[in-house]
Amino acid sequence: MDIRVDKDACVGCGLCVKDCPMHVYELQNKVSVPVRPNNCMGCLSCHEICPAQALEHRGIYPARRHYIDIKVCEMLRKVI
Amino acid sequence: MSAGYIDELHETFHSDLVYRSEDIPLDCTPKPKEMEQTLHGVMKLNGLVIRSLEEIAGRGANAVTYRAGKKFGHEVAKYFQKRENVEEALHELSDLLRGQYSFEVWKPEDKETFIIEENGETFIYLVFHDCIVRQTLRRNGLDQGGPLCQTLFGYVVGAIEEITGRKAKLEIVHTGPNACLKKLVLK
Repeated sequence: MDIRVDKDACVGCGLCVKDCPMHVYELQNKVSVPVRPNNCMGCLSCHEICPAQALEHRGIYPARRHYIDIKVCEMLRKVI
Repeated sequence: MSAGYIDELHETFHSDLVYRSEDIPLDCTPKPKEMEQTLHGVMKLNGLVIRSLEEIAGRGANAVTYRAGKKFGHEVAKYFQKRENVEEALHELSDLLRGQYSFEVWKPEDKETFIIEENGETFIYLVFHDCIVRQTLRRNGLDQGGPLCQTLFGYVVGAIEEITGRKAKLEIVHTGPNACLKKLVLK
């Protein structure tokens, strides 16, 4: 697993450090650093919790998303 | 309500199709794409049933849903080949769950084997990637790890018990939007 943290965006809140059950991240100099990327199982909790959207995972399996409403997405596309 | 509308309704539900009792349907109708509204309706209904059950039964809701899942697991797995080997049983289980759930056997990098023995417990970590329960919970804005997750737990435990003949337990280690980590404890 390749995890990248945008150092400029990271606010050093440490939420990803607290939330990750596999202790993938550590705070170093007030920036989150993925110190154990091989322990990542790709749950993406850190993505959901990161207030700065500073994280990027590469080589991840994206789970199926049945809950996305196609009609709502179509409407959003029209607006955007 | 005008007669025109009633006639229109009658027209909608009338066809010239000849349906014989020996006709076995080989495909789902309509096509999956057209089933989206149905799927969302079922997800919404499931979410509301679980929410109401939790409101009325409190923590007892977990026991009800776990029991239901376990029965379902036993029921489905009894037609599968019996395996003593846990690895083969998990392979059998992944076939069983295909389409609804997909999982992989997982281990942290400091562990040498997938079957881990720690504090007198033997367990295997399972990462659930695709999960219809997670989809339903997110569709309804419900928390993960509640009673609906217990149906999956029961399902897996029931199926494993049926396939291996051994008692098992499934614990949540972590829930996430893209995958959940579970611990299958073998007894």
